[in-house]
Amino acid sequence: MSALAKYRQVFLTGIQTNLVYRWNFALRAAFSLLHLVYVFILWGAAYQGQTEIGGFPLSATLTYFTLLLVLQFFLSAANDDYEISEEIRNGLINQFLTKPINYLGYRLSLYFSARFVMGGLSLLPVLLALPLLWPHLTLPGEEHLPLYLVAIPALILSALIQFTIAYCFGLLTFWFLEIQSFVILSLAIEAVLGGQIFPLDLMPGWLYELSRWLPYYYQMYFPAALLTGRITDLGIALQGLAIQAGWTVLLLGIAQLLWRRGLRRHTAVGG
Amino acid sequence: MLRYARIWLASIRYSLVRAMMFRGDFLMWALVEFFWMSVNVLLVGIIYSHTDSIAGWSQYEMLLLVGTTLLVQRLLMAFFWSNLFEMGRNVRSGHFDFFLAQPGSPLFMVSTRKFDLDGFVNVPVALAIVVYAARQLGLEPSVGQLAAYALFILCGLALHYATLLAIISMVFWLQSAKGIEGGYFGLTEFSRLPREALRGVANVVFVYLLPVIIVSNVPARVLIHGFEPVYAAWMVGATLLWLFIAIRIFHAGLRRYASASS
Repeated sequence: MSALAKYRQVFLTGIQTNLVYRWNFALRAAFSLLHLVYVFILWGAAYQGQTEIGGFPLSATLTYFTLLLVLQFFLSAANDDYEISEEIRNGLINQFLTKPINYLGYRLSLYFSARFVMGGLSLLPVLLALPLLWPHLTLPGEEHLPLYLVAIPALILSALIQFTIAYCFGLLTFWFLEIQSFVILSLAIEAVLGGQIFPLDLMPGWLYELSRWLPYYYQMYFPAALLTGRITDLGIALQGLAIQAGWTVLLLGIAQLLWRRGLRRHTAVGG
Repeated sequence: MLRYARIWLASIRYSLVRAMMFRGDFLMWALVEFFWMSVNVLLVGIIYSHTDSIAGWSQYEMLLLVGTTLLVQRLLMAFFWSNLFEMGRNVRSGHFDFFLAQPGSPLFMVSTRKFDLDGFVNVPVALAIVVYAARQLGLEPSVGQLAAYALFILCGLALHYATLLAIISMVFWLQSAKGIEGGYFGLTEFSRLPREALRGVANVVFVYLLPVIIVSNVPARVLIHGFEPVYAAWMVGATLLWLFIAIRIFHAGLRRYASASS
């Protein structure tokens, strides 16, 4: 079996497994629409009496949050860290130590399959709500095309960063019994510095500049900002892409290091 | 009644001992909750750095509202969250049998088994936010106002409990509880909004049909505007109604429960 075929099979199996929970995914997607309603009400009220906040009209801010919602389903490594943690604790990773399959590749295939199902299912409620959402949304014009092109590799790198961070947290199980608190703390930091609570450009200038050098910025905010016209300068976009690529390589390196160091501590038991 | 109080106290004592056995874990979770609370306060700060008012509420009025929401949520986290969250898992795994076999009301046993100290240690932080906001607003509430505030916070806790119980009880009908707690978080987000921000359908749904706005707005209003009998009656009435509905849903689900495993 060629190397790619192995991972393709994992991807297909992952799709089947995830489809079992299709109603839960659909339910979660429907709940997230509630969040969107909250965002629309909050920002609608904040914009009362003014046409712009941070240089953007209400429609631009609402577009940003709507896109972010969709991206979350397509990119967020929702459960991967816990699953990896479980596989280490239960000794399920032992099988990967003796078989010709790379654990990172295996998990990455599963991540893509989960995102494929979750992203697809999340589109349903969003599409249903689109007639209501559309009058409140706005997208940048044709002159923005080069930035859309930058957004394509940015989205792929975002997915890799999302996955690798979750993968690294999962591998912490080699050292800590319980990783849930680390994960939730990281989620909180990601929620703020990844732009899920508010668009990062509304922060004070120095804080925004600082956030641009952190990996969280590239988990979600960067592609969302490129697609919704919050970043309009091509030079800044390309610089961002370079930083994002740097973080991807660095995080993959850390993941490999954790895996190798972790395996040294790991004891496989059983017959 | 006294017997139940003793059982609850014993569970709290057991949970405290357990929390002290895993001190690192406890500190980490307390930090996590503290950080999430800070995120909410930060959002208020960021929005008000660009605007003066949200639906007529000033920055510190909004902070008082957010602080009140956080206070109710910390109490829910401390007393009920883990219990109800695990109920969702236990129904699926069949471990729920354990609660049915206990000599007492299943709902009480399910709801009070654990007490989370990490949620409780952040209650003073939420209170500090409320006090800070009240001071910035120059409020000097009377004893009556403070008593009403405390009563409304308890009503708020009961309303959050009812909302969570109703949502998690859906596990009796669904295949898995995975993700249904998201419904609770989705709904409770609205309690950080001032009532005046809601219009039209949203006003009908989130103010009148669901208790998600009054849960925070009524306590915050009593500190800002004084005691308003209509709001007080609304709050107490809604609490009783929603507790009744949630308990009915739980019992309807309980009748469907057929255990798991062999």
